Amino acid sequence: MSRACPEPVEGFIDLTSAAAESATYGAEERDRMGFFTDTTLCIGCKACEVACKEWNQLPSDGYEFTGESYDNTKELSGNTWRHVAFVEQMEPERDTGRWLMESDVCKHCTHAGCLDVCPTGAIIRTEFGTVVIQDDICNGCGYCVVACPFGVIGEKQEDHTMGKCTLCYDRLKVGEQPACAKACPTESIQYGVVDELRERAEKRLEKVQQKFDGAQLYLNDPNDGVGGGGSLFLLLDKPQVYGLPPNPIVPTKDLPQRWRTAGIAAAALFGAVVLCAVSRR
Amino acid sequence: MSEGYYGRPIVKPPTWTDLIPTYFFAGGLAGAAATLAFAERTARNDRLARAMIFGAAAGCAVSAFCLIADLKKPERFMNMLRVVKPTSPMSVGVYIFSAFSGSVFIAAGSEITGVARSAGRFFEAIAGLIGPVMSVYTAVLVGDTVMPAWHLPRKTLPGLFAATSATSAGAWGLLFASARDNGSARRLALVGGTAMVAVLQALHHEIGPAQAQAYSKGEAGALARSARLLNVSGIVCAALGKDSNAISRIAGALLLAGGLTERFAVYRAGCASAKDPKYVLEAQKSN
Repeated sequence: MSRACPEPVEGFIDLTSAAAESATYGAEERDRMGFFTDTTLCIGCKACEVACKEWNQLPSDGYEFTGESYDNTKELSGNTWRHVAFVEQMEPERDTGRWLMESDVCKHCTHAGCLDVCPTGAIIRTEFGTVVIQDDICNGCGYCVVACPFGVIGEKQEDHTMGKCTLCYDRLKVGEQPACAKACPTESIQYGVVDELRERAEKRLEKVQQKFDGAQLYLNDPNDGVGGGGSLFLLLDKPQVYGLPPNPIVPTKDLPQRWRTAGIAAAALFGAVVLCAVSRR
Repeated sequence: MSEGYYGRPIVKPPTWTDLIPTYFFAGGLAGAAATLAFAERTARNDRLARAMIFGAAAGCAVSAFCLIADLKKPERFMNMLRVVKPTSPMSVGVYIFSAFSGSVFIAAGSEITGVARSAGRFFEAIAGLIGPVMSVYTAVLVGDTVMPAWHLPRKTLPGLFAATSATSAGAWGLLFASARDNGSARRLALVGGTAMVAVLQALHHEIGPAQAQAYSKGEAGALARSARLLNVSGIVCAALGKDSNAISRIAGALLLAGGLTERFAVYRAGCASAKDPKYVLEAQKSN
């Protein structure tokens, strides 16, 4: 079995990486699967959004005209697991410019903040190394929402649990590819073994860089703040241009230090109370 | 064009309601109150100990309600107890709160009925020892999120939660014990209230002026200014009202209101730092 990510980076809690967690499946462990979203190939057709909604039977988030280019989906949410971003970059004095499109999705992080903080065990690492919310366990505490560095997770308004991309866990189980990748007409969304996708992304970047200065890979580095993503991206501009955090870090990274500081504060509180009580009269 | 992608948030603000800052207040008060009850019992000041263990019980009751009612699926509250997850401060917190509130309810029940006195005293001691952890763990809970205003004050947020809890517990004693008995509560309110003002300064310093805007602007800033006004007047009343029941009670009420307002200020600051992408972008620039 391939280990899609290397030894945990210093500072992370060692047991919570994609490799360590999916290894608990023993013989049932599979190759780590993920997406490579090559935004240079995206034509903004939103077939991924539609296929995702159809397959996963997700209701609409409402119909609103935003005036933000062709983006009326706005953001990922509990019921929207693919979101195509449209960025119009026009030269002020000229009639030329470019139109960036990017299909955003859950990053299925190597170190997943949502999974770390979920207090019910509703969020699990699957045998494919992906991160899935079990909606029959989730009690809607919402901790995952504020622990995601990418703002991926939201509340599913109709059943009050939290929702996000499952990388089509049900389809993977039977050897199918996720609905969005299947529907993508330009192979902007590519599905595969994460290790292979990383190599493919590197090669593609070399080619694209010859033509576009700002081209860069996003979440392909296992040493970044989330240990690399199970979803990789090839972008043509800085991540924040697409609404992505430029330097995401899993919030649990410095949790042990936080507990230590809190321990000191608690001891100080205890000491203060005792001093106030004994210094009577 | 605004920063980032059409000025949209990069991270999502909490789905939580105002029950959560209310819980931080009530749970913090309960923790420090239980510790003061234990300390006063040991010092044989039973009247203040009694007021404090009832305060802890009231805090626990409010906390339990807030915690469960805020879940989007409250009927699944028990799912919290199907796992123990050291990586989740909420999971750790559920067990801290369960052990703490269980002890407090036994102690308060024994105090009010006179039944099983020695067991009551034993659990009062247990609650007193867990109390400070109960008061402070919520700082770890909110620190372990990607809301910049909560995540960045690594050193000072636990201190702020400890100080606010001490102030609220002291204020409870000022409000519900007579001036004759409430000396320890008065000192705790004074120490806590002063520490709160000082730690807030340190917090602003720790996260720097750009991030501190989340605390000083908008609704969070207005709440913080109201809290400071309430706390400073409460501290003055507490210092002056040594021999007066009436002034003590006013001090208690002001400081309780100040503590609650401060909790909401911190909560709103966290939400504000998520809603405007400039905070996330600024934080990740310096990394």
